[in-house]
Amino acid sequence: MALFPRPASAQETPYFVTYSHRLEEPGNLELEFSSTYAAQRGGNDFVAPWLEIEYGATGWWTTEIYIDSQHTLGDGALFTGWRWENRFRPLMREHWINPVLYVEYEDVNGADKTMIEVVGFDGEADHAVRNAVASREHLHEIEAKLILSSDFKGWNISENFIAEKNLAHAPWEFGYAVAASRPLRLAATARPCNFCRENIVAGVEMYGGLGTTDSATLSGTSHYLAPMVAWQMPRGVTLRVSPGWGLTHPSHRFLLRWGVTYEISGFGGKVRKLFR
Amino acid sequence: MTRHAIPLLLLLASAAFAAAGVGGQKSNGDDRGVLRAIAEAPVATREWVNPYEGQADAVAAGKKLYLRHCAECHGRDARGSGRAVNLRSPGVQNAAPGELVWFLRSGNLWRGMPSWSGMPVERRWQIVTYLKTLR
Repeated sequence: MALFPRPASAQETPYFVTYSHRLEEPGNLELEFSSTYAAQRGGNDFVAPWLEIEYGATGWWTTEIYIDSQHTLGDGALFTGWRWENRFRPLMREHWINPVLYVEYEDVNGADKTMIEVVGFDGEADHAVRNAVASREHLHEIEAKLILSSDFKGWNISENFIAEKNLAHAPWEFGYAVAASRPLRLAATARPCNFCRENIVAGVEMYGGLGTTDSATLSGTSHYLAPMVAWQMPRGVTLRVSPGWGLTHPSHRFLLRWGVTYEISGFGGKVRKLFR
Repeated sequence: MTRHAIPLLLLLASAAFAAAGVGGQKSNGDDRGVLRAIAEAPVATREWVNPYEGQADAVAAGKKLYLRHCAECHGRDARGSGRAVNLRSPGVQNAAPGELVWFLRSGNLWRGMPSWSGMPVERRWQIVTYLKTLR
């Protein structure tokens, strides 16, 4: 238990796809288990769980590992790859609009269905391929995002511009995500409470593809609208749930995402003590 | 194999650097950087009026928020620990409430103080109301 001394409670946004400018507090470790369920036309519905391990390296740098998997009904379950992302805040102070630079390396296979971002012409048809066939394709990709985010009168408003490239001679793919959220109550109450409005954050996000360098168009791209709610429970646990609906024909008709987050305070300091 | 080894090596290097990064923070014996950052608050913040001043409920709410969000670094008694400053020190206690609210929003990322802009300003005022009772 020496490694897990104090659960923490951080500033969470409820988003699943969109990033805000809030980074992990320095030295804190956040573990998150999330999942996407999708209704699939022309194939079987699937659930795609992923594990996130996020660490606040400094006040301006957060690094994170993702481990992806999926289970397609009637087609089995498999590990689909991993991602390593880094987010940097170039400005050390808070501004009206706060930029964050995001860089990610992905080593996943073609059966990955987590849909953590939607870019290019990603669509429902990509997920109708059987696992045995799709998993033969290995994708080594880099992804960059420009994250712009603002906090104003209790609201968070975030915009992400996404560029992703398969390193195997594929064009750049583009996407976007925008979101807004707000706690249901701004001021805290004097008494401790668990299931109360001050601990619940509600929001909505919209995300989708913007084509590629070869074909920068909205035609044939997927777009989703997803309200969500997060409940910040005691002892550093946050629950999130978000139903989402596809807005265009290539989109899945329905998505359901959920996740649980556990934040551990002072993790980095405890690890360092082990090596002294 | 090589194509997997390069990212893995980068990953290991990053993890080591990340673990070392936090260790590079100064101890709470050196508050000057943070105190200087508070002093850089816009002059107008000194005139901001605390909407919760003197309200017992706000003090209680501020204490609840402090224990939830701040005590993990600054200690339950607010005397600071490791890299976090002593919030009972004159530099903090003599700052205007508005300067502290501004600093909570802005943070000092370079020195490890997160920005708490994601916390509604009402809650930041409640925390400052509580901190001012520690004088």
